[in-house]
Amino acid sequence: MTGDILILCAAGMLVTAYLMVGQKALFTAIRLFGVQSLFLGIVATTIAIASGRHELFVTAALTIALKTVLIPWFLMRVIDRIGIHREIEPVLNVPASLLICVGLTVVGYRVSTGFPEGASGVSHHLIGVALSMLFIGLFVMVTRKKAITQMLALLTVENAVFLVAVGVTSGMPLVVELGISFDVILAVLILGVLVQRIVDRFESMDVSRLSKLKG
Amino acid sequence: MALWMQTLAIVALAPLLEVGVKRMKARLQNRLGPPWLQGYYDLAKLLAKEPVRSSTASWIYSAGPRVYFAAAIAAATMVPVTIARAPLESAGGILVIVGTLALGRFALATAALDTGSPFGGMGASRDMAIAALAEPALLLGLFSSALAAGSLNVGVLVRGVLQRGVSLHPSDLLAFAGLFIIVIAETGRIPVDNPATHLELTMIHEAMVLEYAGPDLALVEWASAIKELLYLTLLIDLFVPFGMAASAAPLPLLTGIAVWLAKVAGLAVVITVVESANAKLRLFRVPELVSVSLGLAFLALAIRFL
Repeated sequence: MTGDILILCAAGMLVTAYLMVGQKALFTAIRLFGVQSLFLGIVATTIAIASGRHELFVTAALTIALKTVLIPWFLMRVIDRIGIHREIEPVLNVPASLLICVGLTVVGYRVSTGFPEGASGVSHHLIGVALSMLFIGLFVMVTRKKAITQMLALLTVENAVFLVAVGVTSGMPLVVELGISFDVILAVLILGVLVQRIVDRFESMDVSRLSKLKG
Repeated sequence: MALWMQTLAIVALAPLLEVGVKRMKARLQNRLGPPWLQGYYDLAKLLAKEPVRSSTASWIYSAGPRVYFAAAIAAATMVPVTIARAPLESAGGILVIVGTLALGRFALATAALDTGSPFGGMGASRDMAIAALAEPALLLGLFSSALAAGSLNVGVLVRGVLQRGVSLHPSDLLAFAGLFIIVIAETGRIPVDNPATHLELTMIHEAMVLEYAGPDLALVEWASAIKELLYLTLLIDLFVPFGMAASAAPLPLLTGIAVWLAKVAGLAVVITVVESANAKLRLFRVPELVSVSLGLAFLALAIRFL
């Protein structure tokens, strides 16, 4: 039962990562990130219940509070304020990026079978999904031009790392978890301000325009 | 006998599903919506009318709706609904079901071209373009489930899942997500097509059947409703067949019927929410949506092997 829930949520995270790649509307992408983080919170809660490690409840609560509520709300506010709602021209078009993401996922899954121990059953799928999400996140970061999408990709990568940490190891110490959560929220806040500054300066969120800044 | 009743149930309840979705959509828009039996009233009204056909139309035009209707019913006989056995199970599996539905679509598209009106041709070409993208994704998604069960036959597949009990694999969810998008595309629901509009620029399915009237139109609409219910039942069969009756004994059968109705209602709610929360996509962006589902379905298949 525990294994089924974990696999279901991990697969759900992968599906949301995919839909994010195939999505140009920024609001939908943010909502998808919220759903993805909710799945991560369920994974942490399930493991906490199954293994009896109570500090994981704190981790789960932090994940859900920060990543499914606070960060999406903040990003939506940023978008509302600057009034840019779509990723108009990604470097690669959607079908091509999806194709590449399928390839990346196959690679991630193939690599996950090579881990010497725990590479069967639930943890095999968790590692596979997490590696795939890591690759997809990095890929989105280099092929999208809008700053918000790049932030979402960074957060996806963070979710992937978190999934491995919670699902495969016995979890990080609570202090480290708290530190990471604090880092993430701070990063998002700073990036949000940065995005607004970029928009003020260039009237666009297109990060590639930053290369015009020469002394 | 009980086996044939399930096909009959799909054919008989299909208009109810359409009305149900319409009602829920209306409620979300603060309207009342049509009465529950409106689908049957419409069909009765259309069937009682005299067919009006263009003088340039050949036999292909009148054959189109009939083949489409027959294909929908034929496909329904190969899918288990409330009992884990379909009436014409030995006739074929997934490939035959998809092929039969494709035959129906082909008949309707050629019939739309027959009178030479611009709308028919436009609708037919759009419908075929979307179908050409959606069918590979549909087959890949279905193959992913078939691979787990080791059989292409839906009946065998369902009994296999029921016997093994719950055993989830990530590819199940990937395939489900992919197939759900395909079901929306194939049944002409909102992000792809709008079933409630006759605006010339956006019509797909409606443009194709614009010239039909009377009994011909009734057959087309009924068959489309049957197809929609059939796709939902297929999704239920492949991913959550639990609660389905193993035999035709009264008590399991009653539970099977109740569980099936509840699951279809659940999926109908999801479809309604998707339809209400999304705007229709531009035609040129539909391939992007379908390629998402193609990617998901392909991935589901690939992960099965890893």
